[in-house]
Amino acid sequence: MLGEFEYILITAAAGLGDNAYGAAIREEIESAAGRKCSIGALYTTIDRLETKGLLKTWMGEATPERGGRAKRMVQVTAKGVQEAKDFYDAVTRVSRGASWVANRRGSVL
Amino acid sequence: MTNVAWSVVEVAAQLLEHSEREAVLGDLTETNEGAWQGLAGIFGLAVRRQLALWKNWRPWLASFGLALPCSLLLMGLSLSISQAYQRLINSTVFKDTGITVGPGLALLLCNLLLLIAWSWTGGFVMGSVSRRTVRVSAALSFMPCMFCLTRFHVESLSRFCLLLFLLPAAWGVYRGLQIAQIRLRSALMLAAVITVLTVPAWSNKGSWIPNWALSWPAWYLVATASKRPAAKGDKQWQAS
Repeated sequence: MLGEFEYILITAAAGLGDNAYGAAIREEIESAAGRKCSIGALYTTIDRLETKGLLKTWMGEATPERGGRAKRMVQVTAKGVQEAKDFYDAVTRVSRGASWVANRRGSVL
Repeated sequence: MTNVAWSVVEVAAQLLEHSEREAVLGDLTETNEGAWQGLAGIFGLAVRRQLALWKNWRPWLASFGLALPCSLLLMGLSLSISQAYQRLINSTVFKDTGITVGPGLALLLCNLLLLIAWSWTGGFVMGSVSRRTVRVSAALSFMPCMFCLTRFHVESLSRFCLLLFLLPAAWGVYRGLQIAQIRLRSALMLAAVITVLTVPAWSNKGSWIPNWALSWPAWYLVATASKRPAAKGDKQWQAS
């Protein structure tokens, strides 16, 4: 099963679609999850997920706003989507009846 | 980020591999990150990368099974050769007729050849077994060198006589980084020569442990040597 940060990263990458690369994923994680994401944590997790076959990465095009340096593009694989779905389902199931879920207004659980 | 700060960040990024360096420096430029944050990010990533490498047995073997013990033993052999050379010069060559090839000279040459062969094979295995941690292995082999250099007090000898092994070892590391394997025939020849050269020391009961500690890299090269014939344009070592 995925770890918490792995799930967040896969979700951010999936949400960004064709525009998923290092800096964009990092910004997405920081704004959506409200936590700092270090470069080290980001790239080592991307590598780990790629080794597990949950992500695919390749070097993209260089752009002027990046000082002419290439992006490391990221794509979530079908296996990655399935793992993220399994993680979400597990968290949803285990959260049923939890006080912080039941007491939330507009809870979908 | 100022030019100076950016230059520092770029230097620190040399710790990363080429493609990763490109991506990380591009990300830092795009997000306009501060110099300290950029530096911390790069160092953090480099440390994580290094730590991940140490989950494997290879860096441990190269550093603690090879670099550290072999540098200590080779320093001892370097000193022994320097002292033997000095004794030979003082007692034989200049005081008598000039050129005298006695057992002392033969033993000295034998030890000198062993020093070169042991240093080269040790360096080669250190470079080829774990390329990405070779800096750590090198640092570990330099530590005992620095320790002994600062405490060396023999009036008739320069303290640098401890480091006779460094040049062939550095050459071995360089070749090990270039090519991971040598050909079986070359490896066998090297291991056989080293084993034959250690024969005079077999009568000395206490010397077999350091002998084998220094000889195993040669037999490791035999065990891991390439069995296939070299293809055209193949960079494998034949004789260098």
